[in-house]
Order: sequence, then structure tokens, then C-alpha cells
Amino acid sequence: MASKRIVVDPVTRIEGHLRIEAMLGDDGVIADAMSSGTMWRGIEVILKGRDPRDAWAFTQRICGVCTTVHALASIRSVENALSIKVPKNADIIRNIMFLTQMVQDHVVHFYHLHALDWVDVVSALSADPKATAELNQAISPSWPMSSPGYFSDVKATLQRFVESGQLGIFANAYWGHPAYKLPAEANLMAVAHYLEALKWQKELVKIHTVFGGKNPHPNYLVGGMPCAIDLDSDNAINIERLNMVKRLIQEAKAIVEQLYIPDLLAIASFYKDWAGIGGGLGNYMTYGDIPQAGVDRPEHFRFPRGAILGKNLGEVLPLDPTDTTQIREEVSHSWYDYPAGEPALHPWEGVTEPNYTGPKPPYKQLDENAAYSWLKTPRWRGNAMEVGPLARMLVGYASGREEFKAVVDPVLAKLEVPATALFSTLGRTAARGLETQLGVQWLMEEYENLIANLKAGDYATANTDLWEPSSWPREAKGFGFTEAPRGALGHWVHIKDGKIENYQAVVPSTWNASPRDADGGHGAYEAALVGTPVADPEKPVEILRTIHSFDPCLACASHVFGPDGRKLAEVVVR
Amino acid sequence: MADQRDHGVAPVLVLGLGNLLLKDDGVGLELLKRLEPDFVDDPRVEFVDGGTQGLALAPYLPNRCAMLILDAVALGTEPGDVHHLPDARSTPATRSTTAHEGNASELLAAATLIGECPETVALVGIEPDDVSTGIGLTERVQSALPRALKLAKDTLGTLIQPE
Repeated sequence: MASKRIVVDPVTRIEGHLRIEAMLGDDGVIADAMSSGTMWRGIEVILKGRDPRDAWAFTQRICGVCTTVHALASIRSVENALSIKVPKNADIIRNIMFLTQMVQDHVVHFYHLHALDWVDVVSALSADPKATAELNQAISPSWPMSSPGYFSDVKATLQRFVESGQLGIFANAYWGHPAYKLPAEANLMAVAHYLEALKWQKELVKIHTVFGGKNPHPNYLVGGMPCAIDLDSDNAINIERLNMVKRLIQEAKAIVEQLYIPDLLAIASFYKDWAGIGGGLGNYMTYGDIPQAGVDRPEHFRFPRGAILGKNLGEVLPLDPTDTTQIREEVSHSWYDYPAGEPALHPWEGVTEPNYTGPKPPYKQLDENAAYSWLKTPRWRGNAMEVGPLARMLVGYASGREEFKAVVDPVLAKLEVPATALFSTLGRTAARGLETQLGVQWLMEEYENLIANLKAGDYATANTDLWEPSSWPREAKGFGFTEAPRGALGHWVHIKDGKIENYQAVVPSTWNASPRDADGGHGAYEAALVGTPVADPEKPVEILRTIHSFDPCLACASHVFGPDGRKLAEVVVR
Repeated sequence: MADQRDHGVAPVLVLGLGNLLLKDDGVGLELLKRLEPDFVDDPRVEFVDGGTQGLALAPYLPNRCAMLILDAVALGTEPGDVHHLPDARSTPATRSTTAHEGNASELLAAATLIGECPETVALVGIEPDDVSTGIGLTERVQSALPRALKLAKDTLGTLIQPE
């Protein structure tokens, strides 16, 4: 049985507070694991009694990363409740904003949060710039910045940065750990592209400013989008603005195709053993997104809706988030109270009643047989599910969509791994890249759809027929969804007498980071960690690799601030 | 990939940070709201509500001479204390002293790394009393607003017209 307990708290390079406890067996392999959200937020409580038309503005403040996705899920939930149909342009503009955020977020996750699990920044200092240039030209011939002089400059910049002692954003990593396998030149190339991605990431989101009026908190509207479009006017989104959007999409396409994907494949080729580690549940779920014929017709979404159980790519099961028997949240291992006799509740009936019964901080360890997290335990038909890019790619692939096969199959061939390699930490990381590749293609297609629709004379962006609460039914329930970068995001609203009666958000990281259910079934993080070998329990980079492969964002899953807000990462081994 | 739209920005940026849903954590946004009307027609300064964003605020930093951050600053002193950090770039205290996930220090470090951090970064903030879920400031922080506002206004004055 477990001989050591590794505690990582908080996990760094994520949003929000996550604590991982891993029980290491005598063989040096993780035998069991616990994932705990250690801070409570409770946005739902704030929304009660408010005007449902304003809910999006509050929900987009939940998270420091995903403002747009919460706003989108929120307006869709209200529109669903009130049977409001939005104009075609509004769907297209929302799709453009959605894809913009997804592409930007995935690139930032890869280079600025996850790459440091695979790339040894300090090793880059011993790279030969000339050999690095040759490497870069070999893996991405069309990328312009690959001269020996360029890499010399990057190396010098990095040297100055490291010597200044301000490792800053490169701190809290295990530099020099033997688990880092890349040659020095590949490390230097990755650091150079870290910087390029950092410069670029701030460009793409200007698309949000064009359509949302402002950033970083763009405007949304129940019934459509609050932007006027007139190709020839100075006082609306005109052709000049739209041309800028097109240029930004083209730049994004170049970054993804010439930088992200080649780097991903080059790095992955050194870590193929991770195609056999970190698979976990093998159950995947998507709500789907990017409607092509309205939100009520999931069969026409670019990301299909569905569920896969037990790694069975032969069958995609139908899923209905409004069926109150399907998605249900338990609190058997969470610090919440439910009404007596209710083991699980559908989000429409959801209750957010905190009841902390854990040990007094600072504590040494949590008890897996008791409540141990501020996250609830959502289950689909009783099954723990993984959500996120891997789930989306697998559901698309298993649904037989050609677009998905066209990006997945060549990568499997190039890395010389079978399709089962996707059920892994490496598969999760690769799926995020492949999804981004689809994302930039779709972004351009959605842009072209918008232009075509405008040229056909359709300028409508909002439907305000049902704006006034007097036009609403006395009581209504709605479901809003999106596929956030981290996975399926659902908002469930119950409106009564024009006000919010109940509001529940089930966010992607609640699915992935959930604690055990009443039957002892593990959440996705917990399941993925079991079976992972850890070389040095004091420096558990292996745990970070798998957890980061999910792109955790606990900010909206739970509250973020504690008295220990200044504490840096801590690893404790017992 | 800087382009023409990046030039001609106001030389001074005032960045409000904080989470409106966590009581006193939102104090930076309240300060921003109260400070802005005094400078509404001043082309030398731009006001941005940064919320809890981190790296997503990077687009606002290039080509500025100075930046003033308004934020909740938890240094562990008395709630309602007004904090002033004239040089937030080199003050390690700016690391993780704010209550939200958008980490100002990470933003500054990233901007420094790509050479786009304003030369001067000042910070004015208030020690929070309560950062639990809820909208609105506590009394102690509320009563500190006039002092913090005066300090922010004076600081902004010197940033606009450096000696």
C-alpha cells in the first residue's frame, strides 16, 4: 500500500487554488490520489434575486481567464428559458468571439503554463544558436525568425533575465530534473517561441474589442450582440474594422501552423512514454458548440455534443443537459449541505449551502473518506466524465466528422502511435493543439460567413422582442452552454417573476477536478494520476504534467483567496 | 507585431484591478470609477478596468511612460490602511498581494521580459477587511476611500507631469 503521501498545494501555473495529495506505493508509482479545491466562491448566491438580463455581467467576473465563456453561457441560459431566438449574425459573432478566446487561450496555455513541464529553461542557456536555427528550419521551414543571430539574441536575453535573479514567471519549476528530455537546442527554440507567443497573444484578443465594444470585459446582450454593423459607416463596425479582424485571424493561423503545431510535435516526439501515462477515466463528455443553425440544433454544431464511455470510440452516446436524470451533482465528499435525503441534484434544483467540516488550516492531510473539497461532484448518468479538448476531439472523431480525422490521423502517423495513445497525458496535450488547428480554420470560415451574410443585406445583430420582463412567462427554466477552453461549461437558470430564483454554474474544472462520488468513484484528475511513476517525490514534475494537461482553472470552480495568498508553491512529502 | 494602432496611446495608464464579487477585493475598481471623472478629457491618461485579468492585460502596456495600478493590497496591516508603492516594479510586495487570480506581478514580469513594461509603475491600494463572496465594500475600506483617492490623484498628477 501507499508508503508516502505527496502533497502539492497549491498547484502552480494554474488559475485558482488546487491541492493534490498523491499516495505513492513502494514501487514509486502513484497508487491513489485526491484532488481538492481549497477555496470557496459561491457566485450562485450573489445572483439570486437579480435581473436575469444582467447575470452575464456578473458571471464574466467569476474568472480572470474566461470572461467571455461565462457571459456566453449565461445569455444562452436566459435566452433558452425565455425562448428568445437570436439573429444569424449574433450566432456568427459569438462564434468568432468564442473561437478567438479558445485559440488565444490554448496557445497561452501551451507556451506559458504547460511547456515549462517539458522544456528546461535553464538548459536553454547551453544551446548552440546555430544548431538551434537548423532545428527550427527543419521543423518549420516557413517560420521567418530562425536565424542563428536571432537565437543568439534570445539566449542573451534569457541569460540577462536569469542573472538578474528575477526568474519571476520561470520560478517554481524543477529545472535540471532528469525527467526533462529535450536537447538544449530544442529548449532554446521553445523559449524563443515562448517570447514570440507572449508578444502575439495580446494581438488576437483585439477581435473582442471590435465586436464586444471593449476588452477585457466585452459586452454581451440577451437576444443577440450589442454591436451595430454598417460596412460603410464611421459609427459602426465597418469594413475597415472587419479587415483588421481578418488580418488578426491570418496572423493567428500563422502562429498556430508555423509555431504551435511544429513545436508541439517536436516536443512530443521526445516524450512518447507519456502516451501511456495519465489516461484516467476513459469517459468523455461534450455539450458541443459553434452552432451553424441555431443553438437548438446540436447536430449542426462544429463541435458535436455527446458522451463516450470506457474509451469506446465505436459509440457516441446522446446527452441532454436539460434531462434532470442525467447530469446530477453530489456532495458526499464536498463541504456543502444538501436537503435531507437528497444524494444528488440536477443543477436546476441545485443548492449551494457551504458547510466546512475539514481540518483547521494549515493541515497535514485530507481524509479521502470524508468531505475534502469545495468542489461538488458532478456525474453524468452516474459516471465521472472528463471534459476539455481531448473530449471534444474524441467525440468529433468518434462521430465520424471528417474535419477531426483530417487533423488527428496525420499526427498519429507522424508520431507513430496508435489511436489508443490519445487516452493519455500526451494525448490531452496534443488534442489541445489539434483543436487549435481546427479553431483557426473555423475562425476564418466564420468570418467569411459573417461577411457573406452582411453582403446579402442582413445587418440584424439583436432581437429585442422579448426584452421587457412583462413579455416573459411568470416562471421559466433555461440551460446555457459553451465549450470553454477547459471543457463543457453549463449555466442553469430558474427565472421567477422576472428575477433569478436559482442559478447554478457547473464549470469544466468541477468535472475534471471533482472529488470522489458516494460510491468512491474518482474524479478525472484523481483517476489520471493513478499509475503514474514519480522519480523524485520531492520534485513531482510528473504530477504537474498530468494535472497541467487538463489546463485547470479553479478560479470559477471555487474561491481563490486565502490568508496564505502570498504563499508560493509548496510540496510536502510524508 | 506592433502596428499603428499601438502608437498615439495615452502616455499614462491607470489600471484598476480586483474582483467585484469579492467585497473589498473590488476596491481598485471603485477607486478607478471615482478617479476617472477628474481626468475625463485628459489625453495624457487612459483608464482601464482590468478586473481579475492577468496576461490578458498585456495589450494595454506597450508605449506607455507610466502606469498607476489601483488595487486591494493585503500586506497584513490594519484593514483600511492606504498603501502606496511608488515603484511597484522593484517592490517584491507586489507579488501575490492581491486577492484575485489575475496576478499583477506576473503581468509586469511578462511585460518586462518582452520589453513592454512602462518605465514607472506606481500602486495605490487599500488593505482589505473582508474578501468573501459579496458585492460592495466594508465600512472600514469605504471610509478609507477619500484618503486613497487623494493619494491616487496626487500620484497620477506626478506621473502625468514628471519632474
